[in-house]
This record gives sequence, structure tokens and C-alpha cells, in this order.
Amino acid sequence: MIKFWNKRVKLGILTENPEFEDEIKTIQKEIKESVKKKFAGSLALRMVDSGSCNACEAECNALANPYYDLERLGIYFVASPRHADVMLLSGIMTFNMTPHVLEAYEQIPNPKWVITLGDCPIMQAPFERTFAIKAPAQEHIKITHHISGCPPSPKEIMQGLLEFLKKI
Amino acid sequence: MRFIARYAKDRGRVFEIVTLYDSEVQKEQVHKEKPVIQTLSHEHPAALWFERKMQDDFGIIVEDAFDKRPLVHQEQFPKNVHPMCKDFDAKELDFSEFQPYNYEVIKGDGVFQVSVGPIHAGIIEPGHFHFSQAGEKMLHLEIRHFYTYRAIEKMLEGKTLEEAKPIIERISGNESIAYQICWRDILLQASQQELPQALQKRHAFLLELERMIHHLTDLGFIPNDAGFGAALSLGSKLAEDSRRKMKEITGHRFGFGAIDFANKFLDTVSLHEWLDSMQESIDYFEDWIIDIPSLWDRLDTTGILALKKAIKYDTVGVIAKASGLAIDRRINNFYLQNGFEAVTQLSGDVAARFKIRIAELKNSLTMMHNFLQEDDTVLTLNTLQDGEYMSFVESSMGELFMTIDIKDGVIERFFARDASFVNWQAVHLMMRNDIIADFPLINKSCDLSYAGNDL
Ligand code: SF4
Repeated sequence: MIKFWNKRVKLGILTENPEFEDEIKTIQKEIKESVKKKFAGSLALRMVDSGSCNACEAECNALANPYYDLERLGIYFVASPRHADVMLLSGIMTFNMTPHVLEAYEQIPNPKWVITLGDCPIMQAPFERTFAIKAPAQEHIKITHHISGCPPSPKEIMQGLLEFLKKI
Repeated sequence: MRFIARYAKDRGRVFEIVTLYDSEVQKEQVHKEKPVIQTLSHEHPAALWFERKMQDDFGIIVEDAFDKRPLVHQEQFPKNVHPMCKDFDAKELDFSEFQPYNYEVIKGDGVFQVSVGPIHAGIIEPGHFHFSQAGEKMLHLEIRHFYTYRAIEKMLEGKTLEEAKPIIERISGNESIAYQICWRDILLQASQQELPQALQKRHAFLLELERMIHHLTDLGFIPNDAGFGAALSLGSKLAEDSRRKMKEITGHRFGFGAIDFANKFLDTVSLHEWLDSMQESIDYFEDWIIDIPSLWDRLDTTGILALKKAIKYDTVGVIAKASGLAIDRRINNFYLQNGFEAVTQLSGDVAARFKIRIAELKNSLTMMHNFLQEDDTVLTLNTLQDGEYMSFVESSMGELFMTIDIKDGVIERFFARDASFVNWQAVHLMMRNDIIADFPLINKSCDLSYAGNDL
């Protein structure tokens, strides 16, 4: 246990690590304020993977690591669409996933928004259309905002969420 | 003989069925008018998904199979459509009438079903898990996938190897380097060239870096699924550090586009230092986590895959090693000279898979030191020869197999078998003595790819 506390003191608080980009801090501050104003301090995201290569998911998972720690800004990934304000849609909308995506969207209570994450859902990734793909997502569902990248980095996702918050 | 893959090719009037073992390749032709084959699934249960896939893709009938349900084609997929046949060229299919899928279930007094997915509670890829439960105890689990089926095999047909590269590296994001190296090996076979040692080292370095990122992520997530969140903080921090290193070296956080034939500048001094600091962090992590008895209470004896089963199901990668099977595509001269050591465990449980990841991580660091060298070799490729090529790479999940047929300079048939494709078929065997609350932990300890499995 002593070892553990030693390590903790040595590591310090990573999220406040000065060598780590100031830029992120500004984004974080703005996000926090915006979430507070528009979503009473808590914005719930439901992540739906409609056929991604898993890199977009990995970057969303990275948002929870100590460098970014999205939750302390009031943004949560929730376990059910029924708890969500926003659907964060990644992946290329495969034939097999499309009915499930639409079902999940139905389950989100109003008011609700959809943000597409990564180049896949809007058919900008290198994948070509086949019989097994139903993308672009905008043909099936109303999209409020798009975060581009293949995959977008955690920083770009945070920036994208901020743009979304400004937009609505 | 270890079974590796079974797949078909459309050859005009006949289908060619290729069955690949570790020591031999068998080929068989069946006429399209009567495309009937015999199953291998009695001796090699892992052949089942390959055969069910052939049935969907080509309409090949596996006469004596005990399971003839569709695999890739789900409830609303049009019936009697076999898209991998050369005469199928539709770019769009409409949803057909919903046809329920018959899950494998156990029935009885008080036995009930729990279905989970395709959309899961966390941030994870889609797949479906169907449990038969007696109270908390799992009696049976059927795993059903192919929700991320993008028909990549078909998408790549008619493309040159160069054009196919951006797609191949995006089949499974966290194994991108491994897929690229498989592609590289096929390219080199087709151009009949040897890879200069310096480039081989650079690529091997990146492959180990990818493995590191993957293992570090899991070393955080596995304890987290047992309720020990502190490990996730540290694990995900180290994974993020490594991902940034990947970006520094390749310009991309996942190394998309990283494998090419020009050796670029590496700041070897700072990289050696970085590896040393990672070594220190990982030693600390191991030392710390080994000492937490309440965590090991959950990891020990949970989700056991017995050696006998691991062999029978032809498993590979971390899962096989944790059950005592030393299968690794890195067992060759190049890797052995650079410090590779095969690691195995015997208990086959979550704890064993966790320890394999730590051991592999440490071994990766040792090898990465040896792979570092300053060099500016550039290889210019010859023109590519048509032919049938195969390659293997040990990805962070296990053996990855890829085969490409080139005809008239473009891809005639592409097939890849991710380690996940065989390993997923063995996951249900790990549930026999556990309760449903252990499932997320067991699943995470295997951490298989959905996208790589589904293609
Ligand atoms: S956008 Fe790129 S990274 Fe994201 S799922 Fe698609 S291919 Fe993968």
C-alpha cells in the first residue's frame, strides 16, 4: 500500500499536468459551462456502434482516461438509450445493424439529437458501398452534428462535442 | 493437425474448397450444380462457422452438419442470395421479411433465457450473447455475431493491392498494424522480393507497440470489470502514452498507413529512454496488482478453458497460451534472435490470461529495444506477379491469416481469418462453472475483435 501512495504522489494529478496542452483545458472549461447551461450539468451520451472498425470506440474509451476524464465535465456515456440525450453514432451502418440503430434511436426520449462520429457513418472513410452497407446515416436518421476523423482523436471528439453544444 | 481455416472460391463452373491446417493445405472441387461437401466440425468444432459462412456466401451445402442455420445473413437478409458468387453484383439489397433465428437454448423447469446485445451497455462493438440460465448459473451461451459485416471480401475484389491497403488496415482498428503486415507479406511474395532486415525491424517494432497498447488497455479493463477501478486509471494512462508514441512515430494514433517500404527517421535515444520508463511503470503495475488478494479472488478459477478443449477448438493467441498451448507465429529465427520468449500458463482462467498479457508486454519491451535502429533503407517494388498468396502474423489477439488471389493484376479473392474467428467459438466453453455476473469479466479477459471477426 505504501508503494501505491508513493506512486500516486509521484505521478500527481495527470489531468492538471501543465505539460499537457493548454488547449484541452480551454475546451474542457467551455464544455463544462455549456453543459451546465444547456443540460443542467449533465449530458448523457448513448454510444452506438453501427459497424465500425473499433478504433472510434477505442478513442471514446480513451476519453475516460486520466488525461481527458470527460465525466468530470458532466458528460456521461450511459448504458441505455432511455437514459440518453444524444446518440453518438459510429461505424458504417451495416445492413445487419441498421434496424437496431433505428430501434435504439426510437428509445431515446425527446428532445434528442444524433451526432455522427468518425468518417464511416457519412461514407467518408475508405470503405466502399456494398450490399451489406446502408450508410450514409443521414438517409435514415436526422443528424445534428458530425465529428470527422478516422478516427477522431479524443481531443477532436471533445472539440466536436463543444461545437455541438454551441450549435443547439 | 491444427485446423486454421476453411473457405471457398468461385471458379466458374465449380467451387474450390480450401481447407488449411498448420502442416498442409487440402483442396477440393465441387460442381456448382451439386455443391455438396462434408463437415469437418466433428473433429474440429471451429470449422462450423467457416462452413456456415460458406453456406451463406456461396450456397454450398454442408451435408452432414448438425447446424445449418445462417451465420452472416441475419433475420432480414434476403433468402437464397449468395453474394460471394462472381455473378452477384448488386450494390444494394432491400430488407426482406423478418425470419426469427433459432437460438441454441437449454430448456427445462425454471430455466430461462437472457439475451444481451447487439448494442451493449458500454462502449463496445455490437454482438449478441444468448444465455440459458438456471438462476445465476450459466448453463449455456450462444454467441452470435456478424453485426459489423461490411462484406469486405467482396469490396476488395477487382482492386489492386495498393488500392486495397486503406481498407485492409481498417478491418479491425486495434490490429491495424498486423493486418498491414499480412498485406505487406503478400505484396512481397507477389513481387518476389525479400524485405531488408532494417524494414523488418521497423515493422516488428510497430507490431509490438500495437500489442503493448492492446495489452495495457486490457490490463486496465479486466480488473475494472472485477470492480477494481484504480487499475483502469493506470492502465489507460499507460495505453494513452503508448498511443501517443504511435502517433509520434507513424503520424497516426492507430498506425493506419504506417507499414510501407521506406525506413524513416527514428529518434532511437529517446525511444530507448521511453521504453525504459514504460518498463518501470509496468514493473510497478505488476508488483502492485499481484498484491491485491480481493482482485485475485475474482480472477482465479473464473472462466476456465481446459487445455483439452483449447486444443480441440483449435484456439490461438492469448487464450491458447493461457491454457498451456504455445502457439505463436513469432516462433521463428528473426524473433528468437531479437529476444522473443514464448509464454504460457496452465490454469486457463481469467487470471492466466491476465498474466499472459503482463508477460507478453514485458517481452515486447525487450524486443522493441532490439528492433530499434537508425537506418534509411528504401525498397522499390518490382511488378507484381499473379498468383495465390498466403500470410500469417501474430497480432495482439493471436494468429492472423490472410490469403489473396491476384489475377490480371487485381484481387480475385480476398479472405482473412482473424484470431477472433476461431477463439469466439471457444468462449462459451469457459462459462460452465460460473455465474452470469462473471461473464463480462471472462469476455474482457479474452478481449476478441468483433470487426475482425465479421469482416
Ligand atoms: S471512421 Fe475510421 S476509425 Fe472510425 S470506425 Fe470508420 S474506419 Fe474505423
